[in-house]
Amino acid sequence: MLDYVTGYLSSTVTPGQAGNWLWALVYILIIFGGVSGIVIVMNWGERKALAHMQVRLGPMRVGPHGLMQPIADAIKLLTKEDIMPSEADKPIFWMAPVWVVMIAFSVFIVVPFGPTHAVTDMNIGILFMLGVSSLGVLGIVMAGWASNSHFPLMGALRSSAQMVSYEVAMGLAVVSAVVMTGLRGAGPYGVGDGAASGTLSMIGIVQAQQQQHVWFIFKFFPVGLVAFFIFAVAMIAETNRAPFDLPEAESELVAGFHTEYSGLRWSLFMLGEYAAMVAVSSIAITLWLGGWLRPFPSIHGPAINIPFFWEHPELGVVDFVFSFAPAMVLFILAFFAFFNAARMPKHPLLKIQTLGLYAFGLVLGGVGLVLLAPPVRDRVQDIFWFVFKIACFMYMYIWYRATWPRYRFDQLMKVGWKFLLPLGLAVLLVTGFMGLSPEILAWLKGVR
Amino acid sequence: MSIAPILNKVFLVDLLKGLKVTFKYQHPKEVYTEQYPLERPAIAERYRGLPRLNVNPETGETLCIACNLCATACPEHLIVVQSERNPVTRRKEMTSFTLDVSRCMFCGLCVESCSTDCLELSQDYEFALYSRDGFILDRERLERGPEPTVYTR
Repeated sequence: MLDYVTGYLSSTVTPGQAGNWLWALVYILIIFGGVSGIVIVMNWGERKALAHMQVRLGPMRVGPHGLMQPIADAIKLLTKEDIMPSEADKPIFWMAPVWVVMIAFSVFIVVPFGPTHAVTDMNIGILFMLGVSSLGVLGIVMAGWASNSHFPLMGALRSSAQMVSYEVAMGLAVVSAVVMTGLRGAGPYGVGDGAASGTLSMIGIVQAQQQQHVWFIFKFFPVGLVAFFIFAVAMIAETNRAPFDLPEAESELVAGFHTEYSGLRWSLFMLGEYAAMVAVSSIAITLWLGGWLRPFPSIHGPAINIPFFWEHPELGVVDFVFSFAPAMVLFILAFFAFFNAARMPKHPLLKIQTLGLYAFGLVLGGVGLVLLAPPVRDRVQDIFWFVFKIACFMYMYIWYRATWPRYRFDQLMKVGWKFLLPLGLAVLLVTGFMGLSPEILAWLKGVR
Repeated sequence: MSIAPILNKVFLVDLLKGLKVTFKYQHPKEVYTEQYPLERPAIAERYRGLPRLNVNPETGETLCIACNLCATACPEHLIVVQSERNPVTRRKEMTSFTLDVSRCMFCGLCVESCSTDCLELSQDYEFALYSRDGFILDRERLERGPEPTVYTR
C-alpha cells in the first residue's frame, strides 16, 4: 500500500497517466487550494494595484496595508443574507454559480504546472480546455435567465454574444500554436533539431517548445507574437474583464448577470470568474510562453560542479543562476514588506500593524530561505516559473482594467469579427507556409 | 496619407501610452489619499470653522464687552448676547452668549463686526453630532475652543 502511495514520487508521468488515483486526488486538492489561493491574493492585489494606479491607497485598515482584507471580505460574504428573488427560477438560479465555479475549476485538470505536475495529460488536452472553458458561458446565461429581471438578462445576452464571437478568433490563434508544434521551419526560421511531431496535449506542447529551443511567441517571428496577441485580446473578452466587461458594465447594467445575486452565491461567481482568468492565462502560457520552462531554457552554459551544493554535472552555470530565481523573487517581496513597514507612519496606534508587516516580511524571507535549499530549489523550478507567469498575466489584467475605457458593443463586435478573425486566419495561413517552407522550396526547385 | 498615423494604429501606441501613465502613478509618492484620523489635513489659517470666544490669556477674563454688534450683524440672528451692568465698575458684562451653529453659514460677518477680537472662527472642522441640541453652543463651550476627536483605534 505504502509503495503504491509513494511509488508515484519517482514517476516521470502525471498521476492520471500512471493510473494512481490517490495522487490524482492529492493533485486535485492541491490545485483547487492553490487556485483559490491565487484568487484570494488576486482579490487583495487587484484592489491595491488598481488603487495605486488611481492614486488612491486601497485597503489599509484590516491588517498592515490591508493584507487581511480578503479574509474580512470572505467573512462578510459568508454571513450576508442570501436573497433569492421570489420570481426567480429557483433550481437554475441555485445551479448557475455552482456551474460557473465547477467549469472554471474542471479546466485545471489538464493544466501542466510541470512535466509531471498535472492531474492528467490528455492527448487532446488543449481541445478539452477550450471546450470546457467555453461551457462557462452557460452558467452566465443560466444566471441571467433565472434571475427573471431585465439587467441580468441583458448582461447574459451580451456575455454570450461576446464569448461566441471571440471564441472563433481564439480558436484560430490556438490552432496556429498547435500547428507550430509540428513544424520546424527552414532557413533563418528553422528551429530545434530532430523531427517535430504535432500534438494537442498540453504537456506535449510545452515539450515541443523545449525540443525546438523556442517559446512559440518567438517562433516564425512575428507570427507567433501576432497569434499570441490575438489570444491575449480574445482571452480578456472571454473572461469578461475590462476593457471588454460589457456583461457586467456597472454604469449600464448595475452588475450584469449577477445583479440579483448576493452573499455566498455572488462570491462563487467571483471565484469562478477569477479562476477562469487563471485558466485562460495558463492556456496562453502553455501555448506561447513555454509553460513551466524558464527563460532561455536551452542555454545551459559551461558545466560546473560545486561540491555539496550543486551536483548536476550535466547542467551548466546558467541553470545554476536561474535556480535561485524563486528564492530571489521571495526575497524581493520580503524586501518590499520591510521597506513598507519602515515607511509606515510612526504612530502608536500603527505599532501592531507595523510589527505585523515586519513579521510578514520575515515569513516571506523564511520561505525564500527554504527555497534556497538544493533539494527544494530543484523541485520547485517548474512550478515557480508557471506561477510566476500567471502572476504576470494577472497583473496585466489589473493594469488593463486601470487604463483602458470600456468598448461600446458595436466596437467590441467589430474588433472581434472584422479585425481579430481575419488576422487569425492570416496568421494560420502564414504559420503553415512558414512551416512548410523547406517543402515549398524543394517543390519550386523541382519545377524549375 | 502619411505612414506615422498608420504605424501608431498598428502598434497600438495610444494604448501603450495609457499603460505607461497608469504604471507611473503606482509610485507611492503619487498617492493623494490621506489616512484621515491618523494623518490630519493642513487647514488654512483663514479657514472658517467652529466659532470661538477668546479670553485674555493673562487674566482669563473674556474679551467680550457685550456690545451686541455680532448679534445685530448676524444675517440669521443666531447669536444671543445677554448682559448686565456691574454696579461697581459701571461696565456692561456679558452673562451668557449662545450661538446656533446648526444654521450658521460661516459668513464671518460676526467676526468682522467684533470690536475686541473676541469672537473668532477657529480652524476646527470636526463637529458632527448625534443630536441637533449640541449645535447650540453656550459661552463655556465657545470659550473652550476646538476639541478635536482623539482617534483611539
